[in-house]
Amino acid sequence: MKLSLRWLSRHVDLSGVEPQQILADLTMSTAEIEGLHRFGAGLEPLVVGHVRKREKHPDADKLSVCEVDLGPAGGVCQIVCGAPNVAAGQRVVVIKPGDTLPAAGGKGALKIKVGKIRGVESHGMICSESELGLSEEADGIFTLPAETKIGARFVDVCPVQDWVFEIDNKSINHRPDLWGHYGFARELAAIYGRELRPVCEPVTLPAAGASVEVIIDDPDACPRYCGLRIDGVDSGASPDELRWMLQAVDQRAINLPVDLTNFVMLDLGQPMHAFDARHVGDRAIRVRNARAGEQITTLDGHQRALTETDLLICAGDEPEALAGVMGGQGTMVEEGTTSLFLESANFRAATIRRTTMRLGLRTDASTRFEKAQDPANAELAVHHFLGLLRTHCPSACAAGPLVDPAGHSYEATPLLLRRDRLDLKLGVSLEDQQVTDILSSLSFEVDVVEGGFYCKPPSFRATKDISIEDDLIEEVGRMFRYDNIPERSLVGAVQPPPPNDELSLTRRMMEISCLELGCNEVYNYSFVPDAILEACGAQGQQYVRVSNPVAPEVSRMRRHVLPSLLSTVENNLRQNADVRLVETGKGYHAEMRDEHGLPHEVRELAMVFARRASTGPHPFGELREHVQHLLRRLGYPVVMDRLWSGSDQPWVHPARAVAIDRDGSPVGFVAHLNPWTCKGLNLPREVAIATVDVRALHANGRAAPVYEPVPVYPGLPVDVALLVDANIKVGDVAAFLRTTGRKLIRAVDLFEVYRGERVPPGKKSLNFTVTLGAADRTLSDKDESKFLSKVRKNAEQIGAELRG
Amino acid sequence: MSSAVVLYSSPHMDITAKQDAWLQQVAAAEDAAALAGLESRLFGPKGEVVELVRSVTSLPKEERPAFGKAANAIKQLVEAALRQRREGFEAEELDRELVAADFDPTEPGPRARRGALHPITIVQNELVDLFTSMGFRWEDGPEIESEYFNFDALNIPGDHPARESQDTFWLDDGNLLRTHTSPVQVRTLQRLVKAGFEPPLKVIVPGRCFRSETVDKTHEHSFYQMEGLVVDRVQKGADGRSHGVSTANLIHTMKTCLRVILERDVEVRLRPGFFPFVEPGFELDVNCPFCREGGCSVCKQTGWIEILPCGMVHPNVLREGGLDPEEFTGFAFGMGLQRVVMLRYGIDDIRHFMGGDLRFLSQFPEVAR
Repeated sequence: MKLSLRWLSRHVDLSGVEPQQILADLTMSTAEIEGLHRFGAGLEPLVVGHVRKREKHPDADKLSVCEVDLGPAGGVCQIVCGAPNVAAGQRVVVIKPGDTLPAAGGKGALKIKVGKIRGVESHGMICSESELGLSEEADGIFTLPAETKIGARFVDVCPVQDWVFEIDNKSINHRPDLWGHYGFARELAAIYGRELRPVCEPVTLPAAGASVEVIIDDPDACPRYCGLRIDGVDSGASPDELRWMLQAVDQRAINLPVDLTNFVMLDLGQPMHAFDARHVGDRAIRVRNARAGEQITTLDGHQRALTETDLLICAGDEPEALAGVMGGQGTMVEEGTTSLFLESANFRAATIRRTTMRLGLRTDASTRFEKAQDPANAELAVHHFLGLLRTHCPSACAAGPLVDPAGHSYEATPLLLRRDRLDLKLGVSLEDQQVTDILSSLSFEVDVVEGGFYCKPPSFRATKDISIEDDLIEEVGRMFRYDNIPERSLVGAVQPPPPNDELSLTRRMMEISCLELGCNEVYNYSFVPDAILEACGAQGQQYVRVSNPVAPEVSRMRRHVLPSLLSTVENNLRQNADVRLVETGKGYHAEMRDEHGLPHEVRELAMVFARRASTGPHPFGELREHVQHLLRRLGYPVVMDRLWSGSDQPWVHPARAVAIDRDGSPVGFVAHLNPWTCKGLNLPREVAIATVDVRALHANGRAAPVYEPVPVYPGLPVDVALLVDANIKVGDVAAFLRTTGRKLIRAVDLFEVYRGERVPPGKKSLNFTVTLGAADRTLSDKDESKFLSKVRKNAEQIGAELRG
Repeated sequence: MSSAVVLYSSPHMDITAKQDAWLQQVAAAEDAAALAGLESRLFGPKGEVVELVRSVTSLPKEERPAFGKAANAIKQLVEAALRQRREGFEAEELDRELVAADFDPTEPGPRARRGALHPITIVQNELVDLFTSMGFRWEDGPEIESEYFNFDALNIPGDHPARESQDTFWLDDGNLLRTHTSPVQVRTLQRLVKAGFEPPLKVIVPGRCFRSETVDKTHEHSFYQMEGLVVDRVQKGADGRSHGVSTANLIHTMKTCLRVILERDVEVRLRPGFFPFVEPGFELDVNCPFCREGGCSVCKQTGWIEILPCGMVHPNVLREGGLDPEEFTGFAFGMGLQRVVMLRYGIDDIRHFMGGDLRFLSQFPEVAR
């Protein structure tokens, strides 16, 4: 919303306060101001000229050659003008050669030069209102009253220049009273301790005469409806000053009655609607809910299908307006309208909100009604409107009494503001007088009582934003200014907080993965694109779905982290020969629900090791070792010796995956990426993946390392090469060696798997270093040969053969 | 070379001559390799010196002691000469290394494995460390929330405009993606109250939130927030006045936090802000690090950057959490982590965070301080 300084100054004297200061003070006490700009900026060089003579251009029908007197500002000069309305005797606005006309109406700034137009010299330009940026369109040049001083600066003789504040609407959502200039003027009066003038003088309305019957079906939806018939209206253009003030706050001027309804809305926050009385005729105005299947064509030309929750303003039974949102087409006031039916009503916020949301139709009126306007303003606005109308159009008069079937009476609900609570919450102690002054300046009635202040909020604050003591504390705090509250540290003993194991474990896992194992942490959206799921073969699973997704193809919430992480690999492999990625995040499982009916969330850690095709061995082994190391480092020793088969993760290679088991239960897996997924995501085969379920990993707690005595006697390393069938598992062979060496085994380490010309096809050679050792002596060659011969003898149990 | 010369004359051999020859050969060795060859000729198996010492057995008994003594002396003399010569060569060798001219300090070695945490993680970890050191517990909550916890429990009733201003992602089951980390306020209070609440409660909740926004340079529909909540019992002082968690405490806590995280002595300002779950509510701004009061595009010419919505916990929220607002007061804040990270590193495009591009992600090899 925009605020004009000139407008605010109608209500409160702001002389001596710089606009920047107003911006700062409103920001600190009332609402966020997003911007401040000068309306009519750059118009200073323009001067008033007198058209002494106008002749047709010799070579162009539509151009005129004018002799313009600029008086002391430049004497007499010749200007070629294209406007149809230019005529001798006019006072006009001229920009001279050498000066710059500021940017306006989408056109850039224009530096004026002496030039020839169709062969005739022109020394400047006579301006239209749109060229001056004062209106959106203009039929011709702008003319000034005949008595205007020739040669005067335009900005000195016309009240065009203004300062405009742009309010962040979000910051006034809770304040119905701030949706107009008067509300902000009230705040400024309170901030600067100045007097707030009454918004208008009441107009005496006739006790009898033409009136329209108003029937309100549902007083909840429409607490108040004021109607007034006004005759003798001139529906021509509004005076310049009014139009410019509206233009400054981006409200397009239309005609006097419509401009005034807008003016009152932008002043008081009370939306109004002026119907051409001819449309209403003698019919009663009825405020009723729409019927199913009913339609209305609104002012903007759209036909709107209605539901029973929408509220209509009808003449008789015929819909004339969508209540509180927009008038109907054909009812509007146009040039030639002389009689108005003026509506100034109050509608329930929720009703209006529902309609605007459903229709996607938000207007200045609906925005204000949604904030719960004060019903008292409905009547006040009528007086304000009529007063203004008569200023500009003295022939206008109320044709009858104000119709206000519901009426309105406001009885303030008093609130007690306890001094003790005020001091407690703000953390600073204020004088009684300070508190009273602040609240009074904001139109609260305040009585100082024992232990506090007895406050009655004004009606315009009572519709929604002031209802409890804490609301009063805010009023005092913001006007005192929060910045004046001295900072104070929390007091009390600081206890070490209880640990959150799952979060801490996740954090450590990420730190080790990144800082020790060389992974890069990636964040991906919780939504996963359909194309990725399809590439992963997982499109058929059950997903939590977003009803209003950012795009239709990203409506699913991921069940697992890996698919989105995998989707980042292809790009990164373009930049890097090999990548190691890690991500932690939630997977959402629609089929499992907690006690609140929320889908089950699983915190996963997912890793991907990938390298460009054929640049080295498959990274599976490396990833497996890294995962093992990571978990051991954290105190979670795991076993990885069992083929893994997870049902809902089709991106896992079904025959090349190992389970990560903790205490016999799977907590994750390490695997080759399924070749179909490689193909689908355009990835090489050399992609290894792993996932750990953090909560499952931690289910049985950490295992601290257990001390073993350091051996006194040295170990004896023995190389053992076993020739086995290609399908024999290293783990089984290692277990065989352990069994064979029994107590003497200290370590069994595989250092090579050899498949090559020196072993027969279908076989592989597993080359181990077995470290033997005893607790009570140094081992000798004899121990070695004894062990080896035992291995040789028993090797056939596992289909192996000792080489060498 | 040792100047000691062993004199011995034997009718059987002239060992003095041998000694002189050997010492001369040692002195004449050109380099370490030649010296090693000589050593093995003299002291290796069947080496000349070894043979000399061994030849004692071929002498008559009476000559043996004197010969043996002399031969051993010669052996030691030659050994010492060899050692000295060898050390000389070694010293020359080491001295030569010290004047090496082939050193290139810019030649890279094999690449170290470089990983990096996500910049949001780095800052989040720092905040967690900071707040846990001040006694805050670290919690989280579900990302998929019920309307109750996300709105109703936070004093945002059904027809409240805040519901739409937050542009909620709704789910097909009627739940929603949490629009802020604030639902954890009531969740935590309810849980602790059930378990027998022992004030004070100090908790932080960093986590992912969602709002249906069109993504551009400064907007992101998935974002990170860190909620904070402090609740304590109101105490009656000796002066009869109530003391408890106040706005003054909020200002202090926030200033401390921002000073640490932005690594500078920040100026902050607290101004009114409207959030239904706090009353009064504030917006906390920090002075813009990119300009000096004059204004720049980052702070939209104001000199201030909005960083932290906060406020005193609304009585309705305390009630919903199971506490009597007469007995307890508290403050809450919700920091936008992306904003802090962007300020800290000077990142100008919010889309990088969720972009998954290592060219961005590898720029932050830091660890939380």
